[in-house]
Amino acid sequence: MQTTKENTDRAIVLAPVGRLDFAAATAFQEALEKAIAEAAAAKLAVIVDCSGLDYLSSAGLRSFLIGARTAQSAGVKLKVCALQKSVGEVFDVSGFSRIMPPVSDRAAALAAL
Amino acid sequence: MSTTTQAPSLVEELVLLVVEDDGGIAFTAGTPGFGMAVIGGCLVELNLVGAIDADLDGIRVLDASPGRGTALDLVLREVAAGPEARVEQWVVRLFPHAQDIIRAALASLIQRGILAQSERRFLWVLKERSYPMRDDRELKEAKRRIYDTLMSDAIPSPHDTVLLGLALAGGLLEAFLSKSEIARLEDRIREAGGIDLIVRGVEAALRQDQLVRAQAMLYPF
Repeated sequence: MQTTKENTDRAIVLAPVGRLDFAAATAFQEALEKAIAEAAAAKLAVIVDCSGLDYLSSAGLRSFLIGARTAQSAGVKLKVCALQKSVGEVFDVSGFSRIMPPVSDRAAALAAL
Repeated sequence: MSTTTQAPSLVEELVLLVVEDDGGIAFTAGTPGFGMAVIGGCLVELNLVGAIDADLDGIRVLDASPGRGTALDLVLREVAAGPEARVEQWVVRLFPHAQDIIRAALASLIQRGILAQSERRFLWVLKERSYPMRDDRELKEAKRRIYDTLMSDAIPSPHDTVLLGLALAGGLLEAFLSKSEIARLEDRIREAGGIDLIVRGVEAALRQDQLVRAQAMLYPF
C-alpha cells in the first residue's frame, strides 16, 4: 500500500492507495501520526482521502482509530472522505462512522472543517 | 508462584472482572455471552500480534506458528485448520473451548500472584473452589479503564474500546455499574464500545445464539 501526502493551505491530505491490512497498518499509522503532528504545528487540519483504498481489515481499522484519538488529543481536525463501498461497510459495521462520520469527497471534507 | 509485573492479557482482564469480592466466580462466567467474549478476546489478541487479521468476510491466518500460550495456540490451531468462515461463525465454533481458556487464564493469574486458589467445604460435603484476590491492582485498572471510557467524551484507545465491547457482550458491566447507570450511559456505551470487527463478530454470534435459544423456548418440539 502507498500513502501520498499533499499540503494545501488548510489541510494536509493523506491518500492511502491499495489494501490497508495488518502488513500495511503500522506504516499507515505512522504516516497519519506524522501528518497530525505536522498539522498541529502548522495549525492545519488532516484529511484522509480514501478514494484509492480498496480494502480495510481489522488491523487497518485500528490504525484509523489510533489516528482519530491522536488528532483529538492534539486538537487537530481530522476528516475521512471518499470511502469505497467495501471500506464504508467496515466503518459502519465497526461503529467507527459514529465517532468519525465520513464525508463524500475532499471538497465536503474541507467544507466540514 | 511468581509476581511478575507483566500486564494481564485481554482474556485475563475479562476473567478478573468475574471474580467476586469473596473470591467466588460470578454466575456470569457460565453464560454464553461471557464464553463468547473470551473467545473474542483470544481472537483480538491474535490479531494484535499479527497471527491473524479479520475483515467482514472472515479471518485470515497470517502466521500459524505456536508459542503464544496455551489458549492462543489452541484457538490459532483451530482457525488455521478450519474452513473459511466469518468471525461470528468462528466465535460459535470455538465456543466449546471457552471453559478451558478461562481455566488457563485463572491458572496464569494464580501463577503470577494476582489470584490465590482455595477450596472450601460447602454443606460439609461439597467442595467449592474460590479465587481470592491477592493483588487487586489489575482488576482496579480494568474497571478504571472501562469507567474512564464511559465517563469521558474522548475517542477510546483500541484496547479500551475492545475491553468495553467484550465486557458488554459478556454481561460484565452489571458487576460494577447499576442498571440505572448502564441505562443512562447507553449511548456512550454504544458509541465507545467495540469499535472493532472481531468484537462486532462476537456481538453477532451472541445475537444468533439468543435467537436460537428463544426459538427453542417457543417451539420446544
